[in-house]
Amino acid sequence: MLKNKLNFSYKDIIRRYGTVIAAVILLIFFSITAKNFMTSGNMFMLLRQMSVLTIISLGFTFVMAGGGFDMSLGSSVGLVSIVFAIVIIETGSFFLALIAALVVGLLIGVFNGGLVAMIGLPDFIGTFAIGTIVYGLKMLITKGNPIFFDADISPIFLFLGQGYIGPIPFPVIIMILFTLIVSFVLEKTVFGRRVYAIGGNPIAALFAGIKTKRYRFITFIISGLSVALSAVVLASRLGSAQPLAGEDLLLDSISVVFLSTTMFGEGEPTAKGTFVAAFIITMLTNGLTMLNVAYYFQYITKGLVVILAVLISVSLGQKLRVKF
Amino acid sequence: MTKNMNTILQTHGIGKEFSGVRVLNNINFDLRAGEIHALAGENGAGKSTFIKILSGLYSPNGGEIVLQDKSVRFENVGMSEKAGIRTVHQEINLVPFFNVYQNLFVGDELTKTFAGIKYTDDAAMKEKTREILAKLKTDLSPETYIHGLDASHHRIIQIAKVLAQKPSLLIFDEPTTSLGEEEREQLLNIIVSLKQIGMGIIYISHNLDEIMKIADRVTVFRDGNLIDTKDISECTPQSIITMMIGHKKYITYHRKEVPKQEQVLLEASNLVNHKLQNISIKLHRGEILGVAGVVGAGKSELAQALFGIDRTTKGKFYLKGQEFKPGTTFSLNNRIALVPEERQEQGLIPNFSVEKNISLSYLKQFKKGMQIDTKQERKVADAYIQDLSIKATGPEQLIKYLSGGNQQKAILSRWLHGGFEVGLFDEPTKGIDVKAKEDIYLLIGALADQGKGIILFSSYLPELLNVCDRIIVLTNGFFNGEFDPKEDGAEEKIVHAMLTGKV
Repeated sequence: MLKNKLNFSYKDIIRRYGTVIAAVILLIFFSITAKNFMTSGNMFMLLRQMSVLTIISLGFTFVMAGGGFDMSLGSSVGLVSIVFAIVIIETGSFFLALIAALVVGLLIGVFNGGLVAMIGLPDFIGTFAIGTIVYGLKMLITKGNPIFFDADISPIFLFLGQGYIGPIPFPVIIMILFTLIVSFVLEKTVFGRRVYAIGGNPIAALFAGIKTKRYRFITFIISGLSVALSAVVLASRLGSAQPLAGEDLLLDSISVVFLSTTMFGEGEPTAKGTFVAAFIITMLTNGLTMLNVAYYFQYITKGLVVILAVLISVSLGQKLRVKF
Repeated sequence: MTKNMNTILQTHGIGKEFSGVRVLNNINFDLRAGEIHALAGENGAGKSTFIKILSGLYSPNGGEIVLQDKSVRFENVGMSEKAGIRTVHQEINLVPFFNVYQNLFVGDELTKTFAGIKYTDDAAMKEKTREILAKLKTDLSPETYIHGLDASHHRIIQIAKVLAQKPSLLIFDEPTTSLGEEEREQLLNIIVSLKQIGMGIIYISHNLDEIMKIADRVTVFRDGNLIDTKDISECTPQSIITMMIGHKKYITYHRKEVPKQEQVLLEASNLVNHKLQNISIKLHRGEILGVAGVVGAGKSELAQALFGIDRTTKGKFYLKGQEFKPGTTFSLNNRIALVPEERQEQGLIPNFSVEKNISLSYLKQFKKGMQIDTKQERKVADAYIQDLSIKATGPEQLIKYLSGGNQQKAILSRWLHGGFEVGLFDEPTKGIDVKAKEDIYLLIGALADQGKGIILFSSYLPELLNVCDRIIVLTNGFFNGEFDPKEDGAEEKIVHAMLTGKV
């Protein structure tokens, strides 16, 4: 056993820890080049920035672990925020609004899962179409205008995105709790094991007696619910419901889940992998901003990162399971 | 038939070894222009290895291929194709949204040059296609689209596509398996007409009736040896079967005679679906029932219908006398196990460890609170690794790194752990080594002695004869007789039923 551990080949190390090493190098790079980067203030800000991306990517991690893909994430965030805003403004009740948000997330999951897992549309097409419909719906409702909250809006709601416990921003606590829960469900429970089995070989999973359609359907529901959670946190942080606020999250979360599969040598996306990947992607944005790199270069960088993440992931033996 | 009448292909002393194991010995074969030369033999007899050498997929260890009086060496498929040898494979690959002529010339389009730019020459391709289709005596037009056509037309277009390459020698590998009776007839006529225009044809089939009908000569393979080549006029199906089987000891395992138990575990009556035609079976406690049939006979379809993956449109199912509707959840709850034929595609989660593959179906038994009890999981896996002597570095090794036989034992462990009562074993020894095969036979025998009922679906006659208490034969989805493997001449009778569609 011990001998085995000492015998790690060069490729094995890259395979297991390559992405983490890259993150550390990036961290050092930004610490040297951007003078306010490595401060506790910026680090907490970075953690707060990454929380929405992490929450949404954790839902995506479920879908990806089951061998699926979700293109509707970005659009859905905006729709959920808007519905949440309308309900909280009309009723004054945070809890009613939260339930409305979760219901919208759930419905998006039901439609995605119904089309993709039950009817059998290709993941990319089915979820992209749902995302497009969602985009149309939110534009229909808002005409593209943001909805602002009054200053006397529910304090619990504002605390979600803006509050602190000690020095720690509350969204960070939500993110960490959610990461732990997802990690537990994916790695320790029967449900998680079966989802990974389906991602690993859906036909063999079926022959082993697993209800593959149902499980895949549930992964989309989870993705929808985590979209709802992240949308509410985002609305609270921004103090408004922005119809277009989540659009960039799709590409970022694609980078995150692919990076996640490259981490810790699992070859499959994991909750902890997703957490570290979200940190890397957010650090990239944060660091580049601090270096005053223009935003369009940031897009170019992000595009390149997606390509790189997928290439590494594939070169390490992860096959692209999603059929387009 | 006169001898040496324009021989186009000869092989002298062709042999093949895989990692020290000899699979083909000293093959001396010849093919004439304008003849259909059939190859017959059981699975693993060496037919397909021989064909793969001719088509350049394998290079032989020794021997010589003489094509049109020239000694040739094929290092890859391209070289063999260039020399004019083409294979009509079992699988058909056509572009569904292309029409016939586009499919015929895909990747090899005819072109014309105008103003220095190359264009596809559709008129020429259509004309060529029309010529080829005329040879095949088919009503297809060059502009018919592929999608919406039936399997026999796909087959015809596949042949047309091969003909477009102007081969001198055609190899047909089981071309009629997916076809109905009438379509089969039509295809055989086409093959005969190809022979009449002077082509040399090698024809591989499990169906002896077809061979008797269209072949001019037949060559029989057995255990990697060429047994004999005979004019078809000197043969009967019976004499071909005798050559195929020979007299030899196949496997060492022999099941003892056991008294038949009365309790019927599993019963299915009059099953009908896309493949099965009114199939009924009865499985008793403690019995090993063999379901024999060649590829495409409906064995896997029956196994999957009983397990609840493949649907049936008609028929009734009973488990210990109680009617039920098959489904995977029902099967798991009522301890019906399926070891599927395609181990890689249907059995394994390749990136899972051995222990995770073992625990997969009855994972709920490891639930402790909300979690999986991984300690217990490992203990169970360790026990099976010991009991079945699965060769792995440990329960945490990824299953994809194990050999076929050890992978199969892990899949068996998955179901053993569930404590099944009815075992549906679909070609459980396919592609695994001799030692592992024997282990699996011993295990199947022991399980039956414990009172489980086992159905062994197989195309491998020696194992059916030596392992089963009773054998039924499926041919092209139909029930084709029940046999006692202990009775005299059972072997010939079963082969006959498997290969001809007649009892």
